[in-house]
Amino acid sequence: MEERIGQLGTEARGRIEGAADAEALKTIERELLGKQGVLAEVLASIPGLEPAERPLVGRLANELKCELLGSLAARREALDQERLATDRACDDFDPTLPARRAVRGSLHPITRVRRKVEDVFTSMGYSILEGPQVELDYYNFQALNIPADHPAREMQDTFYCTGGGNLVMRTHTSPVQVRTMERAEPPYRVVSVGRVFRKEEQDATHDHTFHQVEGLVVGEDVTAGHLIGTLRALLARLFGRELDTRLRPGYFPFVEPGFELDVRCPFCEDGCRVCSRTTWIEFCGLGMVHPRVFAASDVDAERYTGFAFGFGLDRLTMMLLGIDDVRHFMAGDLRFLEQF
Amino acid sequence: MLISTRWLSRHVDLGGLAPEEIAESLTLSTAEVEGTSTFAPHLDQVRVGFVQAREPHPDADKLSICTVDVGGAEPLQIVCGAPNVDAGQKVAVAEVGCVLPGDFKIKKAKIRGAASAGMICSVRELDLGDEHDGIWVLDADAPVGVGVAEALDLRDTVIEIDNKSLTHRPDLWGHRGIAGELAAIHDRELLPLDLSLPPTGDGRPVAVRIESEACSRYVALAVDGVRQGPSPDWLRMLLLAVGQRPLDLLVDLSNFVMLDLGQPNHLFDRGRLAGEGIVVRMARPGERTTTLDGEERALGEEDLLICSGDEPVALAGIMGGEGSKVLDGTTELLLEVARFDPVTVRRSAIRLGLRSDASARFEKGLDPALPMEAAAHLVRTLSSIQPQVSLPSPPTDEGSWSDQACEVELRAERVRRLLGLDLSDEEIAGGLRRLQFGVSTGAREGVLRVAVPSRRAGKDVALEEDLVEEVGRIVGYERIPVRSLTGEIAPPPYDGRRELTRVIQDRLSGGARFHEVLSYSFLSDELLATLGLDELPHVRLANPVCEGEHNVRRSLVPGLLAMVEQNRRRREDVRLFEVGEAYLPEHENERGEPREVHEVGLVWACVPSGADARFDAGCFCGLQGVVEDLLAFAGYDAPTWEAWAGERSKAWAHPRRALRASLPDGDGGQREVGLVAALEPGLHRSLGLADELASDVAVARLDLDGLLACAPRTGGYRPIPRYPATKLDVALALDATVGVDACVAAIERCGKGLVASCELFDVFCGESVGAGRRSLAFHVLLASPERTLGEADGRKFLRRLERAAADLGGELRSE
Ligand SMILES: [Zn+2]
Repeated sequence: MEERIGQLGTEARGRIEGAADAEALKTIERELLGKQGVLAEVLASIPGLEPAERPLVGRLANELKCELLGSLAARREALDQERLATDRACDDFDPTLPARRAVRGSLHPITRVRRKVEDVFTSMGYSILEGPQVELDYYNFQALNIPADHPAREMQDTFYCTGGGNLVMRTHTSPVQVRTMERAEPPYRVVSVGRVFRKEEQDATHDHTFHQVEGLVVGEDVTAGHLIGTLRALLARLFGRELDTRLRPGYFPFVEPGFELDVRCPFCEDGCRVCSRTTWIEFCGLGMVHPRVFAASDVDAERYTGFAFGFGLDRLTMMLLGIDDVRHFMAGDLRFLEQF
Repeated sequence: MLISTRWLSRHVDLGGLAPEEIAESLTLSTAEVEGTSTFAPHLDQVRVGFVQAREPHPDADKLSICTVDVGGAEPLQIVCGAPNVDAGQKVAVAEVGCVLPGDFKIKKAKIRGAASAGMICSVRELDLGDEHDGIWVLDADAPVGVGVAEALDLRDTVIEIDNKSLTHRPDLWGHRGIAGELAAIHDRELLPLDLSLPPTGDGRPVAVRIESEACSRYVALAVDGVRQGPSPDWLRMLLLAVGQRPLDLLVDLSNFVMLDLGQPNHLFDRGRLAGEGIVVRMARPGERTTTLDGEERALGEEDLLICSGDEPVALAGIMGGEGSKVLDGTTELLLEVARFDPVTVRRSAIRLGLRSDASARFEKGLDPALPMEAAAHLVRTLSSIQPQVSLPSPPTDEGSWSDQACEVELRAERVRRLLGLDLSDEEIAGGLRRLQFGVSTGAREGVLRVAVPSRRAGKDVALEEDLVEEVGRIVGYERIPVRSLTGEIAPPPYDGRRELTRVIQDRLSGGARFHEVLSYSFLSDELLATLGLDELPHVRLANPVCEGEHNVRRSLVPGLLAMVEQNRRRREDVRLFEVGEAYLPEHENERGEPREVHEVGLVWACVPSGADARFDAGCFCGLQGVVEDLLAFAGYDAPTWEAWAGERSKAWAHPRRALRASLPDGDGGQREVGLVAALEPGLHRSLGLADELASDVAVARLDLDGLLACAPRTGGYRPIPRYPATKLDVALALDATVGVDACVAAIERCGKGLVASCELFDVFCGESVGAGRRSLAFHVLLASPERTLGEADGRKFLRRLERAAADLGGELRSE
C-alpha cells in the first residue's frame, strides 16, 4: 500500500506541474482529492487493511493530501501570474479606436454663463432677483428718470403692449432696481438677471430678445471705488485671472455720475477681432444711483449712496464661448445646442 | 460725428499731442471715440509741380504737352487734357506709381504718340470735390516738389465720436465744444472767438411771428450783396475732412457754422420768399410741401413749419424747402437761426424718415443762448470771405426763452463720498474752472458755488451729482482707488424657485438627455391658430417686429412645438425643454400687471417605434417616466396620475392619451402640478411631423409655482433589507378593461405585506390569451424584514394570487 501511495504521489505531482490552465487544475483536483478521487479510494480501503498497517497508511495518505493541496495552490498561483503577465503583455490593443459616446442632453449656453455670474454674486452676498418681463411703464421708464419725451421711449426702440398703455416689454433689467428700493430697507446688494426686449433689427450681434444682468448696491459708504472693485472681482472669476479695467464717462439717465467700464481684452496682447483691435472690450454700463431714482423710491440720498451696473449676458456668453452669431441663442437648433 | 483735428486747432492749440493721445483723452474724459483716420492720405504722394512750359499736342486739339518741374533732377513731360492748364501754374502732380482714390494707379503712358510720365490732377481726381472741368490750380507760393498735404497744410486726422455718447451733451455737437473739452482735459487755453454781430443798417427788420410753442427762439437776419460761387479751399478742405461734400459758398457756410458751433441754421434766398414775413406754425392736416431734395412730403398736425406768409418754406429743424433754397444767382439772403422743441423735431424727423445733421442736433435740446452767436459767426465768416456783404437791417429775435445759466451748490465732501477719491477742495474747484464753470468758495466751509453757463445748464448740469461727474472725469477716473465692499449685509434669502429651476435643468439635461432651449416670448397668430389656442387671451404688443407676431406667450409649449420640425429633419430623436416665464392677462392685478407664471415645457419627438416594441417604448411613457424621475430627484413624492379631462388652454394635448400629475399640497389636499400628453393627432401634419417626418410626439408641462407650493417628500430613507428577497415573475390574463393599478393592488394584497416591489414588464394580447383579453406580466420581489423567506412563502403567495385573479375574472398564467 505504501508503494501505491508513493506511486500515486509521483503521478499526481507530474499532473499538477503539467496542468495547462485553471480549468485543468480543477479537474485534476477533483480526480485526486474529490469525493470519488483516488485519495478517497485509498482512505476508503484502510478499514480492509491489516490493523498494524492502518496507522502508517493513514498517515502517509494524509501527508500526501496536504502536500497535494499545497502544490495545487502553488500551481494555481503560478498559472494566475502567467495569465496576468500575458494580459499585461497584450498586443491586440488599438489606441486609435474611438470611445463609446456617453449620451446626454445639454444646458443652454446662456444658462451656463448665467449660473457662473449668479454664483459669483451670491458668493459676495448678493440676492438674485428676476422681476417681470411685462413691466409697468412706471418702473421701466419714469422711476428711472426717463421721462415721457425721452428718445429711448420711441416706438422704434420699445415694445409697447396694447390696452391702457402702461405696460411695456421691459427694455432693461433696471426696473428691478426700483422694485427693490421700494420694498427693502438699505443696505442691500441685489443682482437681477433675465430677458429684456428691444425692437431692433436682427443681425449677428442684435436680437430683439436678449438677456441682461443688473446689479444694485445701496449702503452708507458705497463709492465708485467699490463699484470698480466689484466688477473687477466678477471679471477675474469669469475669465480666471485678474484683468485690467478702465472707467470712462457714460450716459444713463438713472445714474450720476455715469460710466462705461472697459476690460482689457483677455484674448490678445495687441488687438484681435473680439476687441476690434483696440485691446479694450466695452463690458458694462454703470454709475452711482441718480438722486431722482432714490427720490422716486423714498430712499434718503443724503444718508445712503449706491451704485448700479448692467451688462449683456448674450455678449458675455458669446465672448466666453467664442460664439459668432447671437441668433443661435433663440433658434433652438440642436446642431448648436448639442455643443454645450 | 466726425471731428477734424486741424479744425480743432482753430479753437485750441493742441501742439505736442499726437492724434491718438487726443482721441484717447476724449474717450477717457468726454465721449467714446470709435476710431481715427487720416484725411486724404493720397495727398502725401501727390506733389506740387510747376508748369514750366505748355505746348499744344501735335495730333490732338484738346491735349497739351506740359513740362512740369516736380523738384526732381529733370522736369517731367505730362500730357494734360484740361483746358485751364497753363505755363506758370502750380499744380498737383500724381507721378507714375502713385495710387489715387478709386484704386486708380498712375502708369507711364503714351497718349496719341506723346509720352506722359504722370498726371496733373483735378479736384475730383483727388476726391476733393466734384468739379472736373479743369485741373486744380494751387497757390502760386506752394513749394515745388513737396507733397500737397504738407505744402498746403492739409494734414489732418479725423476722429469719429460715437453719437450715442453725446446724447446728453448738446454743447458737443460742434468743433468748438470738443475743443473746449480738450482745453480742459489738457489744461490749455480755449482761443477767443468773436461772436458779436457786426453793425447793421437801420432798415426794416424781417417780420417774424411764432404761432407754436415748439419754437422758443427765432433769429432772422437779412444779408445783402452776396456773390454765390465755390467756397475757398480752406473751407472746402475742412468740410471734406469731416465727410461733407462742398457744394457752394452759402451751403458750405451754413454747414460750417453748424459743425463749428453745433447750431443748425438755414439760408433762404430772400428774393424767392413771396410772403410777408416769416411765420412759424404747425402744419395743417393734409398740407404738403416739397423739401429741397425734391421730394414732396405729406405733413401732419405734429410737424412744425417755417412759412413765408402762409406758404411753407421749410420743415423746421429738419430740411429747407425747394422753392426758397439759395441758387447760383442768389445775392440777398434771409438767415434763420432758431431753437426748436427737441421732441417735435425728433418725432417729425422719424415720421418723415428725414433724420438730418440738423435734426440730430435739435433733438438734443440746444442752448437757447446760441442762435444769435451762431448768426454772428456766420456773418463774420462770410464777410471774411466776401468783405462786400452787408446787413441792411437789425436782426429779428423772437420767441420766449431765457438764458439757462444757473448756480449749483457743490459740497466737496459729496464729491469725495461718491467717487471714493480723496480730492482737496482746491483740486475740485480747479477741475471745474478748467471746464469753464465759475467757482466761488468761502461762503460756507467745504461748499462751492458753481456757476453753470447756459450751454451746459438745462438737462446736462443741474444737480450736485452732475458736478461730481464733471470733477471726476476731469481729474481722471483712473485715480479712483479700487475697493472691496465691506459692511453688514444680511445673507440672501432662500430662493426656492431658482434652486428648483437648477435641479430641473440639471436632471433634464443630464440623464434624461433633453436639450435646453430658449424660445421667443412672442408668438404669431398663425402658430396659435394652428395649435387651436387663438381664442385664449394673450398680452399683446402694439408694435410687433412683424405683423401678427404680437402675442406674449402664456405657455412655453407652443414655442417648443414650433422648434421640433427643423430638428426632426436632422435627428431621429428630439428632446427639448425650456424653463421660463409666461403671462396670463385674465388674471391682472390692481395695477394692470398680468399674472406671471413659471413653467417647464418638455417636448419629445422621435421616429415611431415598431409594432413589436415593448408596451412602454413610446415617447409618452418615456416622458411620463422623465417627469416621475424629475419629481423624485427634486424631492417630491411619486405623483398621483389621473386621466385628464381636456382643457381649452392645452389644445395641443391628445384628448385621451393624457395624464395629469398631482402632489400632496401639505394641507391634506392634492395640487395639480403638470400634464403629460401625446400630441393631439390633428397637429402632426400642421407641425410638419407627417409623412417622411412622421413622429411619435409627447408633450409635458410642469407648473413651477404649483410645485413650489407642494409638500416635499414625506418618507426619506428606507432601510436596506437584512434578509434576501425572493424573485417571482407572474402573469395575469384578464379582460383588457382591468387596469394595471387593479392588478398591482391585487398582487400587493396577496403578498400580505411581503411585496417589496412589483414592476410590469410585458403586456401581451393575442389568440392564446383570448379576444378582448390581455396578459400582464410582473416582476415581483417578496421580502421580509424579519426572516429569510422560503419556497413555502412563494407557493402561498401564488395560491392567493390565483384566487385573486379569478376574482378579477381572469387567471394566473404559469410562467
Ligand atoms: Zn483682443
